[in-house]
Amino acid sequence: MRDISMILKSVWKSLFVFSAVTVMAVSTVSAQDAKEGRTLFRAKCSSCHALDAKLVGPALTGVSDRHSEEFLLKWIPNSQGMIAAGNPEAVKLFNENGKVAMTSFPELDEEKVKSILAYIKEGEPKAAVDPSVVKAGGGESGTSGLSIAGIVAIVLVGILILVILGRASKLLERLILQKQGIEIEEDVPLKVGVRKMFKNKKFVMFFILCLVIALGSWGWMGMWNTGVHTGYQPVQPIKFSHELHAGINQIDCQYCHNGAFKSKNATIPSLNVCMNCHKAVQARDNYDGEISPEIKKIYNALGYDPETQQYDKSKEKPMEWVRVHNLPDFAYFNHSQHVVVAEDAIRKAKGLQPTEPVCFACHGPVNTMEEIYQYSPLTMKWCINCHKETDISGQKNNAFYAKVIEAHEKIKKGEKVTPALLGGLECGKCHY
Amino acid sequence: MESNKKYWKGLEEYNNTPDFVKNSKNEFAEPLPIEDVLNEAGLSTVTPRRDFLKALGFGLGAVTLAACQTAPVHKSIPYLVKPEEVTPGIPNYYTSSFNGQSILVKTREGRPIKIEPNPNAGEFYRGTDARAQASVLDLYDVSKLKAPVLKNEETTWAKLDSFVKSELAKAQAGGKKIRVVASTVNSPSTNAVLAQFITKYPAAKLVQYDAVSYTGIIQANQNSFGKAVLPKYNFDKADLIVSFGADFLGTWISGEEFTAQYTSNRNYKSLENKKMSRHIQFESGMSLTGTNADTRVPIKLSEEGPALIALYNAITGQSLAGGTLGNNTTADKVIKLVAKELVQNKGKGLVVCGSNDVSTQILVNAINSAIGSYGTTIDLDNPCYLYAGNDAEFNGLVAEMSHGEVGAVLFLSSNPAYDFMNIDAFTKALAKVPAKISFSDRADETASLCDAIAINHNYLESWGDANAYEGYYSIVQPTINPVFNSRQAEESLLVWADAPVKNYYQFVRNNWEAKMLPAIGLKWNDVLEKGVVTVAPKAAGSYSFTQSLAQVATSIISSSKALAKGGDQVELQVYESVPMRDGKNANNAFLQELPDPVSKVTWDNYVALAPKFAEKLKVKEFDVVTVKGSNGHSVDLPVLIQPGQAQGTASIALGYGRTKVGKAGNEVGKNAFPFISFLNGTMQYASNVTITPTGGYYELAQTQTHHSFEGRAVIKEATFKEYLKDASAGNHKGEHKDYDLWDAYEKPGNNWVMAIDLNACTGCGSCIVACNVENNIPVVGRDEVRRRREMHWIRIDRYYSYETKDGDVTKEKEIAKLEDLDHVSVVHQPMLCQHCDHAPCETVCPVLATVHSSDGLNHMAYNRCVGTRYCANNCPYKVRRFNWFNYWNDSRFDNYLNNEFTQLVLNPDVTTRSRGVMEKCSMCIQRIQGGKLQAKLEKRPLKDGDIKMACQEACSANAIIFGDSNDPNSEVSKALRSERIYYVLEEINVKPGIGYMTKIRNTDTTVQA
Repeated sequence: MRDISMILKSVWKSLFVFSAVTVMAVSTVSAQDAKEGRTLFRAKCSSCHALDAKLVGPALTGVSDRHSEEFLLKWIPNSQGMIAAGNPEAVKLFNENGKVAMTSFPELDEEKVKSILAYIKEGEPKAAVDPSVVKAGGGESGTSGLSIAGIVAIVLVGILILVILGRASKLLERLILQKQGIEIEEDVPLKVGVRKMFKNKKFVMFFILCLVIALGSWGWMGMWNTGVHTGYQPVQPIKFSHELHAGINQIDCQYCHNGAFKSKNATIPSLNVCMNCHKAVQARDNYDGEISPEIKKIYNALGYDPETQQYDKSKEKPMEWVRVHNLPDFAYFNHSQHVVVAEDAIRKAKGLQPTEPVCFACHGPVNTMEEIYQYSPLTMKWCINCHKETDISGQKNNAFYAKVIEAHEKIKKGEKVTPALLGGLECGKCHY
Repeated sequence: MESNKKYWKGLEEYNNTPDFVKNSKNEFAEPLPIEDVLNEAGLSTVTPRRDFLKALGFGLGAVTLAACQTAPVHKSIPYLVKPEEVTPGIPNYYTSSFNGQSILVKTREGRPIKIEPNPNAGEFYRGTDARAQASVLDLYDVSKLKAPVLKNEETTWAKLDSFVKSELAKAQAGGKKIRVVASTVNSPSTNAVLAQFITKYPAAKLVQYDAVSYTGIIQANQNSFGKAVLPKYNFDKADLIVSFGADFLGTWISGEEFTAQYTSNRNYKSLENKKMSRHIQFESGMSLTGTNADTRVPIKLSEEGPALIALYNAITGQSLAGGTLGNNTTADKVIKLVAKELVQNKGKGLVVCGSNDVSTQILVNAINSAIGSYGTTIDLDNPCYLYAGNDAEFNGLVAEMSHGEVGAVLFLSSNPAYDFMNIDAFTKALAKVPAKISFSDRADETASLCDAIAINHNYLESWGDANAYEGYYSIVQPTINPVFNSRQAEESLLVWADAPVKNYYQFVRNNWEAKMLPAIGLKWNDVLEKGVVTVAPKAAGSYSFTQSLAQVATSIISSSKALAKGGDQVELQVYESVPMRDGKNANNAFLQELPDPVSKVTWDNYVALAPKFAEKLKVKEFDVVTVKGSNGHSVDLPVLIQPGQAQGTASIALGYGRTKVGKAGNEVGKNAFPFISFLNGTMQYASNVTITPTGGYYELAQTQTHHSFEGRAVIKEATFKEYLKDASAGNHKGEHKDYDLWDAYEKPGNNWVMAIDLNACTGCGSCIVACNVENNIPVVGRDEVRRRREMHWIRIDRYYSYETKDGDVTKEKEIAKLEDLDHVSVVHQPMLCQHCDHAPCETVCPVLATVHSSDGLNHMAYNRCVGTRYCANNCPYKVRRFNWFNYWNDSRFDNYLNNEFTQLVLNPDVTTRSRGVMEKCSMCIQRIQGGKLQAKLEKRPLKDGDIKMACQEACSANAIIFGDSNDPNSEVSKALRSERIYYVLEEINVKPGIGYMTKIRNTDTTVQA
């Protein structure tokens, strides 16, 4: 009868695992939906709709309660068509909103509309505190310690449940056996078992070995990553959103970081670049007719008075951004070399889409970063790996390289042409 | 042909003194205290286990705690409104000019960081001198005043203006004189400003006063030809140059320009055309020019006049009295031979003289007229305006001041309280002037005696122009906003003159647009872009000298006799040294640490004496002696034994001994200006002194023997005659087989190499300063130089040698022939990392911090270096430098570059090195990488000349040629194919990347001393 408890145990175990996996999968799926929906909403809808306020169009919170999903799936891609077709619900809606026709979005398929609806249903993620974000002055680098702790907690709770269930099933089993009148020998007490185990030299040896390996590798990883600030996301003086500017508004990277294409520095744009747009764009809609407090920061720094549209030089105060990508001073890196000269090679090596700027190769999907963070580790290993692997034979189109590559190919026939082959791994190429 | 010449760097090496032998054995001057540790007591010291563990535990804990700090937060502060022309990371170049020479100023993010020659500047403004290179540091001098000063207190410009205006009005109303004392003003706009000032205050007058004056030449030309000008000298047109004490390659009038002219007839290109000029130098102290002469004859100062008379007599066949050199038979012989040659080379000869005596210069004019120099090598119609000071006028002013005739005096870039010959008389006279105003940027010796200091801009903050030569105009434009609350002197003058246009930029522009631009058909912006405007030069006329010389000769002879007093009187020459010049830039640490080209002394001046003469005076090197002039002025200075110095003479450099210039320059050396005397209407730089030992000892910080080759043949030379017969004369390699331990490096792309023309290099040292500025090389100070820890990546080795007549000589014999040290010849050899293909440093580095690259360079990764110094020990060229301190962040080096303001001069493309790492010449790798990137961005192959080294760019003589030897048509490839090319220490087969060209001397054995 011992089998019963075994079977029960395994059933419990698999049930637990399965449920855990499904819960996680489901939650990630819906989370992703809402996230995608948010991006879509910002790109397509936000110029006329807000969640809680009536803009050109009605406030959208609770739209799924007001209308059926079936209706919405048709309405959003082709609202004007529905009105023309005389759908009563559609006509009613049209009349209710001052007979302003809503733009049709034929490019939004069912999936996308569902994502948007999911977002509207969930609402704006409330203070989506990414545990890795460090608030205190933007100083320290964030590690994802909390998320690890969360996983550990889940595992511990799972183990606890398993233990309790195991005990319960054992008790039941014993009761059944007792009822059947079968005497069973007492279990060896746990303490004695543990003691016995620790007397087993092989086991102790094994245990210590495991401990050493675990601690050693943990320490090694820890030290290896000292000074690596991947994910570093300090709080900036202005809550500038790359997602909004580069993602939704599709502003080219060069517009602000114009140094990247001619200089070693990508350059943080000076505030007069911001003013090109923000003299007019003040986001008053979102702040009850007031100028956005973040945009106001630009005005304050420049001593600009939006009422009189005058600059007051005496009130100028430089903007102190917190530097995210800190390459050490002894490493020379030149943006233009990579962004202009090696653009094609890098695109190919990193598999970038033609629509994506080459910057994404190292800076990651900046167009989805609400606040900018360090995407790549910026370690020397990371630099070197790329220099070893990237095929730059395509650079022959550049007359500078044509000669150089030709010379190298003569001696290293057939080898892949990489920056390393042209001397890109030599110390002095970056350290001087 | 093997030369019999023996080369040595200093007398200690020559004499092989025990100290020298000991020091040269070690890479570093101070031995490690190994003996102390390994002696008995050291070995028996017990460190108990517990103590050890305690220390270990504490150390571990401390390190852990120290490591617990969070990563620092870096701020990025962009411009609020970025100027359109600035892109962070990309330098901007602006034209400007320094001392009349048009230059380019390299700026990064609005900070000037480097001076480069302007390619438009003109044929012979090819490089820049050490002062121009170092001048960028003066901008970031912390010793400058930060606000105008009135009665020793900081004030506002409004208060200062009202004070000065009322004082000037008072002086004007009281019928007193107003004087503006300025070093030569050759700026058309400044002259226009002064004209407006004088219109407002008619009592005002400009007195031009140069610390080192050329009045003698100017007045002699007035006397001989009726033209009171400094002529334009054309050394490039001279096949035979005879100089009497004129250091024309260094400090005389326009050294860098003359260097370019001079070497154009002596460099490898000229030699390939079988052409080389000849240069004979007669002088007392060993000057930079003297070291480059084909034949150098030491003469006493008192012999200069008679020698010139003798030369005149020999050329013209006349017999002026006094032309005998009884005691100097060598000179006498050489003069006669030179006279013959000059007559043969009629119209292609040039005689120059460094004297400031009018009579002497009249005689020189007569000689030049006799050999037909006017119209060819001397141009009186396109004169030079660099110096126009009038000695008598300034002396007259001092007298006027002391008589109370002067109501107000203004000092513009002049500092007579330091550099006037009679400081006492000047200060007493100055005290009698009611209103004293200085335009100095700091409270210097004169300014601190003034009532008001209207602090002037640095030239890099200024607008302006200059007119160095007739028809040669250059522009000065600011490259940075004024850092402190200073105001340009011209603007101050305009304000005080209540001029209609007070903004000096507007004034300069108006002046150009009204007077200059219409004539030349250029726009103001064109001028700013080019930096220089030249008007077609006038035809140089021929002038002949027709006056009687009898009176001149009498005057010369009487001065000569007065100088040759004999007895205990020593003839003293005060001269400008190449790094320090007249001392105006004495607070520039780069210049203070630039070794004198001849003596290799840094951070001090000294009394130079000939070896034999020192013996006679019973003094040894570094003994402190009292030098007392006939006017009672005396200084205590250490002795430097200088081979080549004329017997019975001593030399002291001017420009030292400043007291109020700033942290770095105060109390460095002693002031020699008071040894100048005023005679026959001009300042005379020769005088009589007594020299007595004080018994003291003072070690000069000399770099000359720091990096010794221990007598190995590193110099190869030949005479021009031999060269004409065989281009590889002096450079015959013995038959020997090479065996390589290592595989050859493949250099498929570029192979960066260098060729250095020893015949072109004059040893001036501007490459050293250029390298310092480009590569953020720290200044270490006098004490550290004494410990042989100077950091210069490029040094210029100066070798003395003399021809032995009977082949191999033993050492005893050599010492016995000490008198030959009068007739030493000198070779300058720039020495820098040779970027060897089989670099000995690379194989001994335990951490692979120095490795070879595929383009022929020897890389040095500072952050890999752990400081074992094995590489320096193993370098046969001794070019590696060790950072003993964090020079950029160590309060002990506060005088130099250890402050935030001065550090703005740093080149952001080059890392500053920290303590404990090696460094060396990187072959300006930042420039190589930058040049390559530029070509890549423009999608074109790299061209020869795209990349230039900092040292190469600064070199007026074009002695350094850099390029890609994989390109057979590059200039360097062509140069390296020359038969004169040899590699230093070729025999050890390290395969250096820098080829040197043999030194060729145009010595005719018949004229050989």
